[in-house]
Amino acid sequence: MITETTPTTRDCVSKGFLPTRRPALVLEKKQLDDGVFSLAVQDSYMATHARAGQFANLYLRDLSRMLPRPMGVASVHGDAVQFIFAVVGEGTQQLSGLQSGDHVDILGPLGKGFDIREGKHYLLAGGGLGVPPLIRAAQEIQSIAGAHTTAIFGYRRNHFADSIVAEYSERTLSIDESEGNVIDLLDRWESDATAAGESTDVEILSCGPNAMMKAVAQWAREHGIASQLSLEARMGCGYGTCVVCVTPTVDGLKKVCLDGPVFTAQQLGW
Amino acid sequence: MVTEWKHSTVVAGVPWKNPVGTASGTFNLEACGRFFDVSEMGAISTKGVSPVPWDGNPTPRTVESPSGMVNAVGLQNPGVDHYLVDELPKLKALGALVVTNVAGHSDDDYAQVVEKLADSSADMLEINVSCPNVSHGGLSVGSDPLVLGHLIERLRPMTDKPMVVKLTPNVTDIVPIARAAVDAGADALSLINTLVGMSIDIETGKPFLGNVTGGVSGPAIKPIAVAMVWKTRQALPDIPIIGIGGIMSAEDALEHLYAGANAVEVGAAALVDPLAPLRIAHDLDILLDSRPQLAEKLRKGQTWR
Repeated sequence: MITETTPTTRDCVSKGFLPTRRPALVLEKKQLDDGVFSLAVQDSYMATHARAGQFANLYLRDLSRMLPRPMGVASVHGDAVQFIFAVVGEGTQQLSGLQSGDHVDILGPLGKGFDIREGKHYLLAGGGLGVPPLIRAAQEIQSIAGAHTTAIFGYRRNHFADSIVAEYSERTLSIDESEGNVIDLLDRWESDATAAGESTDVEILSCGPNAMMKAVAQWAREHGIASQLSLEARMGCGYGTCVVCVTPTVDGLKKVCLDGPVFTAQQLGW
Repeated sequence: MVTEWKHSTVVAGVPWKNPVGTASGTFNLEACGRFFDVSEMGAISTKGVSPVPWDGNPTPRTVESPSGMVNAVGLQNPGVDHYLVDELPKLKALGALVVTNVAGHSDDDYAQVVEKLADSSADMLEINVSCPNVSHGGLSVGSDPLVLGHLIERLRPMTDKPMVVKLTPNVTDIVPIARAAVDAGADALSLINTLVGMSIDIETGKPFLGNVTGGVSGPAIKPIAVAMVWKTRQALPDIPIIGIGGIMSAEDALEHLYAGANAVEVGAAALVDPLAPLRIAHDLDILLDSRPQLAEKLRKGQTWR
């Protein structure tokens, strides 16, 4: 719909408002797995401001499929922002056809990301296409004094993100459906750490299917570990105005796109 | 720097600095106020407020449809008391012209909300008798001329504020409904609300939406909206009309204005670009330069047809 930055956009940005939907140059498109793609786009605002757990709206070129496709930021390099997504329908199929040199409209960063602190050890518990935001978490945590991560990823089949997260995370434990699940890995991590006499004073950041995250939150609670969970929800606008993507919390219904997508287990009552 | 708008309009005696407002249900100050100066809009129509907080419908609440979307939020809102101490004073402090959208499940609900808004800082009230996603009130009121007339007759004396009645397209003929609202004292009409629609997941055989049915909006409904604005204008030459439906650009807004609207509200476009309402207002201000007759009529509170 919008393929150029309008005078209205420039005027509002000059007054200090957030940048609206805008075209971003596609730098690279790669296939990582069957139906799974990596898309790198150039957007200096996103690159500067996107925190782990935040996401962007990506839009298709014409209005026949007009709603945004919200995607978590997977990594940032300079002014390049990487997204990793699966083809799940016609819209994502079209996005998977983008080539370097094309433009794609984006809006973001959106939502509230993970709360990351200095000096902590984070377990990144991810499942399937919930893994990409945790890659960004590993990248961000790597730059924070004294903080470090262990990636704990569950895949359906191919371990498509292990080599990417290995750039940022000290240790990666991963598993696919034929071998077990993320909870099995958390148990393995705990017994390894206990056997080695390492501290189990950690916090969990998780993203994946809701059923998996509920299990992760329960495991964390049983082990006295705090957890933050990045929810996936069917969104309308993705920026907080349409009240479509609500989730129950202990404080009532909250918007996943604006109040989340990251919530603590306590907030969700999980 | 504030825009020096060249082309204004008047709706039910209320001057709008430009003919473009936000449509109810697609504007939320916390979300949208981060992207633009809300005082720049012709008007801000806020999300429907009910006498008490409503939780709305079960999720999922939206699904994409060809050139549009089907939504069934069910008017989730924090209630009129919260609105009066939160979004309304904040919008007024920012200098916005506020059209407060009023929702209810019954005549008493609407009356309670109007009573509380009667002496508020809202500039206009918009009575939402057209939401397709609430079980009582909404569409069921707005599709029967007698029921609607009875409600507006009750609400009209409760406040001096200009009262806009927001009409549904889910009727065989919109004209008798529009006439009933006007005869009962409506100062203006806004149309259209969403069209009842449904989408089914063929993998499960079940409806996509938690509410089963929803309301269709977006560019797909623009010709329907333009036709209804035109029909209403033909039948009621003098009533101020706010045209709503499928406005994604200033050109779309012009269609509504040429059909006989005094102003327009932008809804679904804001969901795909937060800045769409203001961008459309800016673009329309330029397009009206080359349409001096239309611009002159709007400025005087008249319309093209």
